Amino acid sequence: MRPAVPEIEHCVQESSDGSLSRRALIGAGALGALTSVPLVGRMFRLGDALGSPSKAQDAKILQLVLQLEYMQVAFYSQALAQGGLKGDLREFARAALVHERQHLAAIRKALGAKAGPKPTFEFGGQTKTAAAFTRAAIDLEDIAVGGYNGQAANLTKGTLASAAEIVSVEARHAAWVRSIAGEVAAPDAVDRPMTARQVAAGLRALGMRT
Amino acid sequence: MDGPGHFDEFLTAVDRDGAIAETRARVETVSRRRLLGMTLAGAGTIALARATRAGAAGLSASDVDILNYALVLEYLQASFYTEAERSGALSGKTAQAARVVGATERAHVQAFLDLLKSQAVKRPTFDFQGTTEQQQPFLKTAVALEDLAVAAYKGQAPRLKSNAVLAAAVGIHSVEARHAAWMRALFGVTPAVNAFDKPASRSSINRVVVSTHFIVSKPHMKARKKPSFTG
Repeated sequence: MRPAVPEIEHCVQESSDGSLSRRALIGAGALGALTSVPLVGRMFRLGDALGSPSKAQDAKILQLVLQLEYMQVAFYSQALAQGGLKGDLREFARAALVHERQHLAAIRKALGAKAGPKPTFEFGGQTKTAAAFTRAAIDLEDIAVGGYNGQAANLTKGTLASAAEIVSVEARHAAWVRSIAGEVAAPDAVDRPMTARQVAAGLRALGMRT
Repeated sequence: MDGPGHFDEFLTAVDRDGAIAETRARVETVSRRRLLGMTLAGAGTIALARATRAGAAGLSASDVDILNYALVLEYLQASFYTEAERSGALSGKTAQAARVVGATERAHVQAFLDLLKSQAVKRPTFDFQGTTEQQQPFLKTAVALEDLAVAAYKGQAPRLKSNAVLAAAVGIHSVEARHAAWMRALFGVTPAVNAFDKPASRSSINRVVVSTHFIVSKPHMKARKKPSFTG
């Protein structure tokens, strides 16, 4: 884990108790605040100050989670092709890929013609070895959980209900891969929500390029 | 992504004063270090009550009702893990997981008690029918209880009026899903079966809970029996 650096403070808004989440740290630390702030505007057109739930706002939020799902599909596809994954880890990656493809399809369907294009990714070594894959998969699934949870109150009721069917599956993935790695599979009592900005920073750190 | 259409009343009372980000920040996540300490100490709290400005006094009657429903499920889980831990029947990775998950469920109970204050229902009396006394029945039951909790939170989240309570509920919902996957992995079944986890209604959750015969005394409502309005 990278140490907190002072310049990331202003791009991470939810540090009320002074402790930044690991997800926020890896994201913002690797990326740097200066690039993350305009990036989120460009990628998601979604600021942190949202209004009351509306269909239009749902669409903006769905563009955010669309990026997440594109990334997960690309990540698991590449890892299965290149990562030399075996045994439990391979079984996990295959199941996760099947699920993420269905999430992606559902979100693309909901957005219709408005669905944003697939970003490009540079996963580097993260899809090349079992150990690096495991680390990145945990981070990516945690970002997905934090990202969906962070938007719960901003969504209309129907879209919230649909998002809730996805977020718990992301949480199951996170626990699954942690348990394969022999880690405590549910380390927190409450999952911390992430802002769109934190999600963007986290995805960039893991290899999203637009 | 067409949501179910039966949540029509939800979010009509959304905060319009920009409190969403503020309240989100108030939902305090227990840090890993703190959780570990809590696990060791066997007790702990999350300052979830801070998620609302005034605790139960500021909650709508329907939110109080949903929170009490969630509290009963948390009592059930917390008591189950505590009893299993104390029985000494668990070993290895399962014992470690039960300690962590048990501490978390107890923290959830405490959080809801802090939130509901005098309106909280009392802990029912449980009889886990021997499932806490052997490892395999324990794991099988843990899987069922965690999957049940995930479905229950998912069913209620869109009905919550308070954004602060919603923020807390979704943060707990995904933790229950992590628990479900963890217990499934330990039990040797697929941790994530489907791409979409389906919600369950209160009546179907209640039917399942009743069928277990785990609750041997009804939870007792300390405050008024029925909400004065269903807002």
